[in-house]
Amino acid sequence: MAQIPNLDNSPLNLTALREQSQKDLLNIVKSIRGKKCLVIDPKLAGTLSLILQTSVLKEYGAELRILSADLLQTECPKVVYLVRSQPNYMKFVANQIKSDEPKGLQREYFLYFVPRRIVACEKILEEEKVHQKLTIGEYPLYLVPLDEDVLSFELDYSLQECLIEGDTSSVWHVAKAIHKLEFAFGVIPNIRAKGVASSKAAELLNNMQLEDPVNMDNMGMPEIDTLILLDREVDMVTPMCSQLTYEGLLDEMLEIHNGTVEVDSSIMGGQQDGKKVKVPLNSSDKLYKEIRDLNLHVVVQVVRQKATSIQQDYAEVKSTNTQSVSELKDFVKRLHSLPEIARHVNLAQHLQSFAAKPSFHARVEIEQIILEVENYETCFEYIEDIIQKQEPIETVLRLLVLFSLTNAGLPKKNFDYLRREILHSYGFEHMSLLYNLEKAGLVKKQESRSNWVGISRALQLIVDLKDPEKPDDISYIFSGYAPLSIRLVQHAVRSGWRSTEELLKLLPGPHLDLKRGVSSISFSSELLTGSVGQQSTDRVGHRSLVLVVFIGGVTSAEIAALRFLSAQEGMGYDFLVATTKVITGNTLLRSIIASSKEGMI
Amino acid sequence: MSSSVSVAAEWDLLSDRFYRRITIYSPLPWSSPATTTASSSGGGSGAGRLDLSTHIVAAAPFGGPIAAVRDDSKIVQLHSEPSRRRLLLFSSSGHPLASSPWTPHLPRLHSLAFSSSLNLLALLSDGSLLRFRLPDLKPIPSSSPVPLLPPTSGGVADAVFWGGGVAILTEDNRVVVTADIEVDDPHPRELADPGVGEDEQVLCMAVVEPQFVMSGSPEVLLAVGDRVVAVDEDGVQVLGEALEIGPVQKMAVSPNGKLLAAFAHDGRLLVIPTDFSRIIFEYECDSALPPDQIAWCGLDSVLLYWPEVLLMVGPNGDPVQYNYDEPIMLIPECDGVRILSNSSMEFLHRVPDCTTSIFGIGSMSPAALLYDARDHYDKQSAKAYDNYQLISSSLPEAIEACIDAAGYEFDVSRQHALLNAATYGIPFCSQFPQGRIQEMCKMLRVLNAVRDPEIGMPLTIQQYKLLTATVLVGRLINANQHLLALRISEYLNLNPEVVIMHWACEKIAASTAIPDIVLLEGLLDKLRLCKGISYAAVAAHADNSGRRKLAAMLVDHESQSSKQIPLLLSIDEQDKALQKSIESGDTDLVYLVLFHIWQKVAVEKNAPLDFFGIINARPLARDLFMTYARHSKHEALKDFFLSTGRLQDAAFLLLKESRELERNPVASKGSLHVPQVRLIDQAYRLFAETKEHLFESKSAEEHAKLLRVQHNLEVSTKQAIFVGSSVSDTIKTCIAMGNERAAAKVKSEFKVPDKRWYWLKACALATVGNWDALEAFSKEKRPPGGYKPFVEACIDAGQKTEAVKYILKLTNSAEKSEAYERLGMHEEAKAAALQADNNGDELFSRLKFTLGQNALIDTLRDRFSSQGTY
Repeated sequence: MAQIPNLDNSPLNLTALREQSQKDLLNIVKSIRGKKCLVIDPKLAGTLSLILQTSVLKEYGAELRILSADLLQTECPKVVYLVRSQPNYMKFVANQIKSDEPKGLQREYFLYFVPRRIVACEKILEEEKVHQKLTIGEYPLYLVPLDEDVLSFELDYSLQECLIEGDTSSVWHVAKAIHKLEFAFGVIPNIRAKGVASSKAAELLNNMQLEDPVNMDNMGMPEIDTLILLDREVDMVTPMCSQLTYEGLLDEMLEIHNGTVEVDSSIMGGQQDGKKVKVPLNSSDKLYKEIRDLNLHVVVQVVRQKATSIQQDYAEVKSTNTQSVSELKDFVKRLHSLPEIARHVNLAQHLQSFAAKPSFHARVEIEQIILEVENYETCFEYIEDIIQKQEPIETVLRLLVLFSLTNAGLPKKNFDYLRREILHSYGFEHMSLLYNLEKAGLVKKQESRSNWVGISRALQLIVDLKDPEKPDDISYIFSGYAPLSIRLVQHAVRSGWRSTEELLKLLPGPHLDLKRGVSSISFSSELLTGSVGQQSTDRVGHRSLVLVVFIGGVTSAEIAALRFLSAQEGMGYDFLVATTKVITGNTLLRSIIASSKEGMI
Repeated sequence: MSSSVSVAAEWDLLSDRFYRRITIYSPLPWSSPATTTASSSGGGSGAGRLDLSTHIVAAAPFGGPIAAVRDDSKIVQLHSEPSRRRLLLFSSSGHPLASSPWTPHLPRLHSLAFSSSLNLLALLSDGSLLRFRLPDLKPIPSSSPVPLLPPTSGGVADAVFWGGGVAILTEDNRVVVTADIEVDDPHPRELADPGVGEDEQVLCMAVVEPQFVMSGSPEVLLAVGDRVVAVDEDGVQVLGEALEIGPVQKMAVSPNGKLLAAFAHDGRLLVIPTDFSRIIFEYECDSALPPDQIAWCGLDSVLLYWPEVLLMVGPNGDPVQYNYDEPIMLIPECDGVRILSNSSMEFLHRVPDCTTSIFGIGSMSPAALLYDARDHYDKQSAKAYDNYQLISSSLPEAIEACIDAAGYEFDVSRQHALLNAATYGIPFCSQFPQGRIQEMCKMLRVLNAVRDPEIGMPLTIQQYKLLTATVLVGRLINANQHLLALRISEYLNLNPEVVIMHWACEKIAASTAIPDIVLLEGLLDKLRLCKGISYAAVAAHADNSGRRKLAAMLVDHESQSSKQIPLLLSIDEQDKALQKSIESGDTDLVYLVLFHIWQKVAVEKNAPLDFFGIINARPLARDLFMTYARHSKHEALKDFFLSTGRLQDAAFLLLKESRELERNPVASKGSLHVPQVRLIDQAYRLFAETKEHLFESKSAEEHAKLLRVQHNLEVSTKQAIFVGSSVSDTIKTCIAMGNERAAAKVKSEFKVPDKRWYWLKACALATVGNWDALEAFSKEKRPPGGYKPFVEACIDAGQKTEAVKYILKLTNSAEKSEAYERLGMHEEAKAAALQADNNGDELFSRLKFTLGQNALIDTLRDRFSSQGTY
């Protein structure tokens, strides 16, 4: 199975999008004749593995290297840097070029910025005096399909940039990427945004349409009916909760990178030789598609059923000789799914070894208590305990952020006490981390009464689970908590923001409801007003498409919730998710922790 | 068919083909003194009179303009003309377009020519080149000539121009070719030495243009003595020795570059392929005197001009002779030759087949009958229908021919007649493509418009197709015919942007006296016509023309921020640029402005403060500056923080620096903490100054203290393992090393709560396996947070028996149950769970659930492990 996902079942022609990216890259490689060394920044290398097989690049005479602080070892007379526009990489590039000079190496250097050239980067190249040695180009990769219904802007630091640094580059990037989508799929007639960054992105998108309009004359109906933009800041609660879906747990425990997890080969039933294997995870794997969004214990049952039924068939085949050829054929066909079943048995087993631990259950339980804003003392003591025990700092912060968010901050005494305990336990170098978290409003002093209970009631975030195996609401995702972000999406598609205005005011950032252009599609305004949704399906002949964009990241669990929604009966729309990055609470906090420690934010 | 006869009567038969001379413009305005004064507006005094015999003249192909300078090598009787020479520019219809004084004291003018993008080129006899822009004859790039020849060459003996370059034969018989004559700094290259002997003479030269040569560089043909040599960069080749042509006096290369017309010393005109492989035909002229001019008329005949006689020679039959009692100039076009004389502009070309089929005498072709039918129809004669019946089967061809023939006509009424004939046929011919006639009408409208004497571009339809509409529009613009260019663009659905843009720039250049506001209104009126036009480009032009205020007003209208902002910067509108860049949301543009201001400010005194003031008022600019400065501009960032009262940020920056010191391996170990502590102390004071950052200031104080304590510990233990670790880790390390006292001291100095102390000590003792000490510790007093730290420390260390000791002391049954569970003691876990008070049931079932699943998965796993795949 391939890491590059099959996109044939996508609600939008993402294949064309990916092919364009392939073509753009190959054109760059082709345009530079002869043997060349292609130096790619480490993160981008991962991204590119979702676009093409790197072996293809070698066919065009490219030798591949990963950009690092080390000097470049290559015989090639031409060096092509393919690097995201980040200042730290410019220093690497400059150092490598400068080191060639004393060696008397005469090389041609090319630098392709991804996705576009940036003054701040070129400035560094000028200061390092290598700018004039470089032929500069751009590789406009703004958006990458992660799967048939998930797109990524590949902006790892969007949240901390927007929330802490005040650097809104990622907002522009998001707007630009959506505008590029509009060139291919038509101007999106309805936009709903909530949050500072999202509202800004919607505004930028509108400006871009004015500056560089998408010509709708020779296009049919816009393929995307509604764009919903949400800031991660609006709902920081959800990513702090432990994910309980199969995919969510895989990401939490093993970390999914570019659609794969890396595990010891022994876990996958291989030799115990300490080697790592990469396991691709995307919808091309039919079984994975079926189980990725289910609760882990349901996954175990599904896998068991599949295995048993094959086993029964096998027994039948062995015991009787009366099968017709077609029956045998059928059986063989089902045998083909064995490797898939084996793969997920192995992974599920591995996850279970984490998830079955009492400590995991205790943690999920405490999260639930925090969400319900009950028993302040218990929660406080739990957090105090894990700080003093020196559990990993992101584990601690995750709960602390959750605790602070639902309580609208901590009383000053508790706040200062816990902060001091953190600094004593993990070191004073985390001072700026605490300051940044406070600045971002994630962990702060209590100044007003919490409105979390109100929000939670109004949006029915806490729901008693009836039958975990046949869920009828997205709250199954977190075993009783319906993610706030997805509840907002539900409202946005059902009736727009108008009905929830009072509630939206309680959440951070402004909200925005825009209708754009083209009168010929005026009916789309009613298309999303609840009951009419069904009709629209009939009228257009296919389901209408909602693009949900998360600025600052989204968790697998939330994507699962959206998939669950669109699979519900009577739902007239499909969801396509675009995110700056697929995150977990840990990855989100870890980058803030690291950047704070280095003093870069 | 009377009307047809009169048409054909003007034709001349050359062998089996008809040729016709069409008078396009006559008389030319310059020929009669009366009109001269009337049209003097373009040229001023002296312009407007042109005598070919006394001027050096150049005419551009594709109906382009005519340039002339009086030839001072000829004796001239000055009529009313001023004695000073002028460079004159006329349209093909003889209207003066411009004139400018010819710079005196220049070397003698050798020749004039137009480049393909219609710049005027003047080659001086010393081999230097002057270039002039149209329509105003402004010298480009400067008024000093560019030398094309090395100084020792002795000057120009002969020269041949083509659209993109010039080949020069020098007086010392070398060939220098300049193929990039349009660029500011052309690169002349000398070709191989043609090997002209001391006593030999180059009789004439011709050039095969680069587009017809395989190598892509031009090939120069020279007639030397009785041979012809082809010279290029790599070598010299003697051509056609076997043909025994003898000395060639005059040569011309055909429009397709394949054939050469050569006039030999014995009066023979020969047509030869350019590779001299054979003689295609030859004609013996009456005179052996070489003609003044030789030119191809299309690909089928060659024109020879001696004073008063123009002879047209074709491959067969007798030549046609035309007589002229005044000097003429042959201007070769792709499909014929224009003949310029003092009084008229004519076009000589082969009559197209479709025209012959209609107007040919006695023609009974379907097209002729259709044309005739229309005539009858207009006269309401029934014969019209008879004609139709005769040709009904070949009607489409007939219509086609009428339409085509209309295209070849200059005479508008004849165009009408032919198109009318076509329209008469169309109703009877449903399958005839509808667009054909409209297309032709469109083309003719354009052609008639530009042929108008006021415009004076006598393009034929073939020339127009070759030139393309876009280039035509470009030429009109350059001739300042913006209105017509705009109309044509609109008519042909071309983007009018180029026209309006050019107009706007010219308008600005020509409106020095008009106030900004008025001019702006005028410009905007027109610019609005074109959606998406770049206001920034117009503004940039205004700025270059010294109208900065106008530029500022124009750039306001630019909708694309990426174009607007650089321009705002170049016209010193920094504040506006910053404002606009922030509005655009494009952080890259904000950076562009920031760097620009920073750089400007860097050269001024007191500048950083101004810069800080500018950005501090704008959050996005401020934050981006901070982000950038964190990477490489620490000092500037610190200055910024301090000067804008962000003391806490400055303090954090100091903390960052202190950590960088710690990481820096160069610093010596012993004294490392001193500078580090100093920085932290500074940070502490800054925090303290702010009053809102009490927690931070206390923490910084503690941090400095910790470093001192750790340093002392390292000195006393002689182990460099403390600096950089946290308070908790320091305590743990002390305990693990068995240094209780030190640990206790740290505890009290940093006021570590008892609860944490128990976690730390239990963990440290378990790590080093000191179980006795652990037990003793547990019995010191009742632990403030219960026995959990002891249980967990033992479980983490894998000590089951030790763990059980402390599990028994746990008070909470749920905790007990979980602890047993972690040790794999399921029975005990179950028992404890049952004891657990109210939520016991739930806990038990949860445990059972996880247990059951584990077992299940194990069995499944075994089953599939043999597969080995995933």
